Parts: sequence; structure tokens; C-alpha cells
Amino acid sequence: MASRPMNDEEVLSEMNKMVAFIKQEALEKAREIRVKADEEFAIEKAKLVKQEQQAIDAQYEKKRKGAEVAQKIAHSTLTNKSRLRLLHLREQNLQDLFQAAREQLATLASSSQYVQFLQGVLVQGFLQLLDTEVNIHVREVDAAAAKQAADAASKQYTEISGRQVKYELVTSLSPDLAGGIKLVTGSKRITLDNTLDERLRLLEDRMLPEIRNDLYGNNENRKFYT
Amino acid sequence: MAGQSQSIQTLLEAEKDAQKVVQQARQHRTQRLKDARSEATKEIEAYKAQKEQEFKAYEASHAGNTQSVQATVDKETNAKLAAISQQFDESRDAVVKKLLDRVVLVEPELHRNLKKLGA
Repeated sequence: MASRPMNDEEVLSEMNKMVAFIKQEALEKAREIRVKADEEFAIEKAKLVKQEQQAIDAQYEKKRKGAEVAQKIAHSTLTNKSRLRLLHLREQNLQDLFQAAREQLATLASSSQYVQFLQGVLVQGFLQLLDTEVNIHVREVDAAAAKQAADAASKQYTEISGRQVKYELVTSLSPDLAGGIKLVTGSKRITLDNTLDERLRLLEDRMLPEIRNDLYGNNENRKFYT
Repeated sequence: MAGQSQSIQTLLEAEKDAQKVVQQARQHRTQRLKDARSEATKEIEAYKAQKEQEFKAYEASHAGNTQSVQATVDKETNAKLAAISQQFDESRDAVVKKLLDRVVLVEPELHRNLKKLGA
């Protein structure tokens, strides 16, 4: 190291060295900052993008699920509509059938077995009511047949049950009915409807399983038949 | 010495220049952060548009699906309806007869809990 003061050249050279040093330090620092900046840029960008991508994915997943569900609902509705059409047709057929039966009901009253039928129906009525005094309601056209049937019926009743019955004929039934009788107990409290119409109505209801089998065969979806 | 103050001046200027350089670097950093945000947004938009397209394609494909299913179901239903009508026509009269026969079928019975009153 010089122990004497520096001359101008040396001063200049020292100055330049210092200036260069300062410059160098600044450049290095600047470079560090830039490098770090680029790194942070990449990280930040990736983070933002990933975040939003996840949100978007979730959103579209939900949309997709919604669309799937809607499709399933649509299909189910179609199937349901189809079933309803089938059932509707069956119901119409059934009504048609019953209507036809009702129309033909009147012919039964003019058959040769009508008196026998009246007798049977009377006995059935007597046996249900088990009363000693009964009013028999008939149509006007049946009055004669009914009288004949009632005699035989009361005898048959006594034979079956050992009990007596006293009856009275009343021609009160409307001529619109197809036939048959109504029995009313002596105390007028119980009415037993054994007309052809009522019997058909009961049959319509009770015979439905049998009718189904006769018309359309067994139900393939049914697992248990007694 | 006048040279001294000049030297100091030179050093100060060098320091100023150095600071300017560093300052620029810092500005660059700030700019980079802004760039990050705007570029990210662009990428996100692109991604979203792509997803939207995928979804639309999916929708279109299964809208067609529903149509075809409907056609199939309708055909099946019509076939079944025809079968029902045919079965009905075949057995209708027999069932009507069965009903009417049973209307007049009577079998009078004494109630099972009762006994015939003997004489």
C-alpha cells in the first residue's frame, strides 16, 4: 500500500474501480430481483389457473349430473305414460264388456229358467234374512212368475232350515230393472237386493281377477298365485 | 482539494445510477405480477370455453338419445296395445256369457252356524 498520497492517475483508477464495483453490485441485485420475479410470476399464474380450473370443473360436473338426472326423469316419464296407455285400454275394454253384459241382462228374464231362478233367489233371500215375515218386491211383469216361485220357495226354505216364513208380494220394482226380487223384513228394517242388476254388479266387482285371467292370461310380473 | 468533491460527486452519481437499475428491476417485478394475473385470466377463459364446448357436445348427444328412446317405447306400446285388443276380441264373448251364467247361478245354503230346526 502506498504510504504516500496518491497521484491523479491512481485516484482516477481507484475511482473507476469503485464506480465499477457499485455498478456491478447493482446489476447483480437487479438480476436477482428479476429472476425471483419470474419465479413468482410462474407460481402465481399456475396457482390462479389451477384454482379457477377446479371451480370450473366442479361447475360443469354439476351441470352434467343435472343433465343426467333430467334425462333419467324424461325416460321414466315415457315409461310411465306407456303403462298408463295400456291400462287405459284395458279399462275401456272392461267397461265395454260390462256394458254388453248389462244389455243382455234383460234376456235372462224371458228365459225358460226364470221361474226356477226366482225360486232359488227367494230361498237364498229367506235363508239370509231368517225372518218370519217378509215382503217380496217384484216388477209388475214378474208378478205371476213370482207368485209361483214364492210358493215353492217357502216350501224349500222350510225344508232346508226347518223354519216357516210368511210372505207378501208387492209389485213395486221399476220396470227398468232387468228382473229378480228385493226382500224386506217384516219390520221394514233390512232390505236384501237380489235383483239381476245387483247380482251383476256384485259379480263385476268380485270376478275381476278371474276376468283378467280369462281375457289376458296370467300376469307375468306376478310372483305368487295361491 | 477540488478533486475530492469531484470524486464524491462521481461516486454519488454512480450510486444514483445503481439505484435506477435496481428500481427498474423492481418495476419489472411488479409488471410480472400483473402479467401473471392477466395471463392466468386468459388461460382460464380458454379452459372454460373448452369445457363449455365439451358440455354442449354431451348435451347434444343425449338429446338425440331421448328421441330414439321415445320412438322405441312408442313402438313397443303400440304393439302391446294391439295385442291387448286382439286378446280382448277373442275372449270377450266367452266372458260375457260367463258373467250372465253366474248371475242366475244360485245355491241357497243355510248359514253354517245354524242347525235345521227339527220337528
